[in-house]
Amino acid sequence: MQVALKVWRYDAATGDRALREYEIDAPEEATLLDCLDIVKDKVDGTLAYRKSCRMMICGSCGMRMDGAAVLACKVRMYDVAQAGQVPVISAMGNLPIVRDLVVDMDPFWDKFKAMKPYLQPGYDRPEDGREYRITQPRMDAIKKEALCINCGCCVSECNAMESDPEFLGPQALAKGMRFVGDPRDAATVERLEQYSGEHGIWECTRCFFCNERCPKGVDPRDAIAKLGAEAIKNGIDRDMGAKHAKWFVRSSETTGWLRETELVPKTQGIVSSVKQMKFAMNLISHNKAGLAFPPHVAKDVGEARQLHKIVREQDRQGAFGHIQGERALAKLAHGVHDEGRDPYGPGSFPKPYLPEDTE
Amino acid sequence: MIEEHDVLVVGAGCAGMRAAIEAFDAGADVAMISKLHPTRSHSGAAEGGINAALGNAAEDSPESHAYDTVKGSDYLGDQDSIEIFTREAPDDIIQLENWGAFFSRQPDGRLAQRPFGAAGSPRTIYAADITGHVLIQVLYEQVCKRDIKVYEEFFAWQLVVNDGRCQGVICWDLLNGGLKTLGGKTVVLATGGAGRQYRVTTNAYACTGDGTAMALRAGVPLKDMEFMQFHPTTLYPTGILLTEGCRGEGAYLLNKDGERFMKKYAPNALELASRDVVSRSEQTEIDAGRGINGSVMLDMRHLGAERIIERLPGSRELSMVFAGVDPIYEPVPVRPGAHYHMGGIETDTDGATELTGLYAAGECACVSVHGANRLGGNSLMETITFGRRSGRAAAEWALSNTTIDVPESLERDAERELKDLLDRGSGERPWKIRDELGTSMLENFAVFRRGEQMQRQLEIIPELRERYRKVYVEDKGNVFNSDLTQAIELGNMLDTAWCMLEAGIARKESRGAHARPYDYPTRDDVNFLKHSIVRWKDDAPELSWAEVRMTKWQPEERKY
Repeated sequence: MQVALKVWRYDAATGDRALREYEIDAPEEATLLDCLDIVKDKVDGTLAYRKSCRMMICGSCGMRMDGAAVLACKVRMYDVAQAGQVPVISAMGNLPIVRDLVVDMDPFWDKFKAMKPYLQPGYDRPEDGREYRITQPRMDAIKKEALCINCGCCVSECNAMESDPEFLGPQALAKGMRFVGDPRDAATVERLEQYSGEHGIWECTRCFFCNERCPKGVDPRDAIAKLGAEAIKNGIDRDMGAKHAKWFVRSSETTGWLRETELVPKTQGIVSSVKQMKFAMNLISHNKAGLAFPPHVAKDVGEARQLHKIVREQDRQGAFGHIQGERALAKLAHGVHDEGRDPYGPGSFPKPYLPEDTE
Repeated sequence: MIEEHDVLVVGAGCAGMRAAIEAFDAGADVAMISKLHPTRSHSGAAEGGINAALGNAAEDSPESHAYDTVKGSDYLGDQDSIEIFTREAPDDIIQLENWGAFFSRQPDGRLAQRPFGAAGSPRTIYAADITGHVLIQVLYEQVCKRDIKVYEEFFAWQLVVNDGRCQGVICWDLLNGGLKTLGGKTVVLATGGAGRQYRVTTNAYACTGDGTAMALRAGVPLKDMEFMQFHPTTLYPTGILLTEGCRGEGAYLLNKDGERFMKKYAPNALELASRDVVSRSEQTEIDAGRGINGSVMLDMRHLGAERIIERLPGSRELSMVFAGVDPIYEPVPVRPGAHYHMGGIETDTDGATELTGLYAAGECACVSVHGANRLGGNSLMETITFGRRSGRAAAEWALSNTTIDVPESLERDAERELKDLLDRGSGERPWKIRDELGTSMLENFAVFRRGEQMQRQLEIIPELRERYRKVYVEDKGNVFNSDLTQAIELGNMLDTAWCMLEAGIARKESRGAHARPYDYPTRDDVNFLKHSIVRWKDDAPELSWAEVRMTKWQPEERKY
């Protein structure tokens, strides 16, 4: 098939950027990475990009296709080529470009290392010198986080990192959750304390681009949510973000409504609220916010309270609430398959049979 | 010379990282050199599992593991190495688990173990079907914990040999350009395999036998180079690996009629016979016209959706992305593909090579645990156990010796050689030579080997080498010049492929992965129960033979 690509080239020596178009002949099963290989072999040997395993596990070939981060080895080009589209290939975002499609991964790994990304065991180590005894469902709490291949696609797309380059970001925080959720790790509180600091958990703007773009289904935003829930559960709630989240909970439990007017003082404190009085008055005069008193109580507030009670009774306040929710969702969204289909129905491959013994 | 360390580890996959961790813990100043970032190493693509006789799933013992390994090796494995290997493996696994490895569990909370090919007991510890990924992560975590220096994206090019000792490595700095020489009292090579010599391979683009070729040119002997394992289940058409764990979980192999043909070739073990046996059976079916598009079918339909999603999610994803087939409903087309090099740099059981100060571990090495055929799950274990042993030995030697002396003349020679290559203004680019090597190796030196085909290949390789001498690197830049490194890699593949051919022609028997059904169909213990040894002499391989180290097990007929 004929494949056309536009590639943003970047010359490290001169700092020049240029969009170059390539047209190549590729086999039908070709991926984006295969196409880049053909360009490099047959058209332009100076094209620079990273690659290694070509099977979605090494995480080398993260790049952008039409502005969205992808693993080049995972993208089959057939449909794109058939539709006559000419995708634009560029380096990942939020990381300095070294050359063409190669970015400097040092800032990425610095954040990874800042997470203390290694198990910190406590005193209750296996006495018999053997493995820890942990059930599979308990380990599965960090199943998704353990899938991360550090390709950088989530970081490339992170909106919060665009405004705060020091934000730890989705991959580092997912790695953090991998340890917070590991029953063998004894540094949970220290970790949550550290991750809750400036540039940490609460910096996330919840745009969900990381979940959307992760090629491995790690769902880093969900990991960040789990960290937040665990932090609050452990009483680590000094950050405005944590206070903000807590007020949502408190407000919904007491009145069944979000009491927005109180949100600012509860989250940012009195001094900051006073400073924003003018803005608040402006909102009120335009009917965008109501007065705090008397609070409006929802008719069915009892149901809201009942929900909170169940969460507490079943100990779902921390990460486990999220994980259970995820499992329920997973049955709907992930691991989907065509349940009605009969693998042995008409037109399917013949049923297996054993040949007669030859000996 | 830019920097000196006690121990330099070249390669940062499982073996390299394990060696570096051990050397660090032994008190040495250690650094790793890798042409990739450590977590990009191809160990991470291992899927099915890692073998150790923990006896969690059924009764098992290191002796039983050793026997299976000896038999699997077609009696060519060195039995002292195998005994050390199987004895030390369980503790290594426990250590990995204690470090935080995300292994799968059985209901009582202990590590789960699944059946694998040619194993007498369910012995393979696993993490769904991403075991290699989990190991790479846990090892890199431990590297971070120790803050071990990694020269990332440094392409190791030549060994520094001075005064009869290996004392460092000359590297090309991929990100910034320029040759950088690193001094080391000892050097551990852990550079992995060279599957890219073949057009159909499970191996990453990075698997080009760099360390093996470096050692070869430094005069170090290579052992059993003719034995290249063909994995029975690589996806058609890309050659991407589908784990043996699929068959471990119960998948069938079918020919185009739906017949479970393995019954004819391995009546007892069926799909779980050893890899050489299964690959040959598949190739026989395909050659007899009972395949589809040069493949057979891997059928998991009877396992059911739940089990496939739970235990083999990665294999399902690979099948769907790269073959467009959902294994829950359709069988997956697979065929044998180059997978693992049993041969490599000859080492003793501490990873030491013939050259003082040079050690090797993992796939690039040959302590000869695998002999003529490796069992699934043994290679990851080898990287850990012998990575550790060689890291320890390299550190101990380095700590008892003090000097590093890298003559400037060596660096100048390397500079000149590089300049020659980069200054060339025109010529043939590497890709055509690379493709011809891959295609011809697959045709002439794959699952079944014929005398005349090997002879033809032995003529092709020097021709390709001749063309390679004038190869043209189009990229002249300093920053991320992968055009240059890919050209150097091609040279490494050509030289190691030549060694494989030289040894393959001389081995006039069928043993393990070296099958010559047309001229020498049986194993010949009288003449060939020995290791082939290849050295580099006057720019060509030179062959000799060495004894197999036997302890308990005498050769028997091998049946599955």
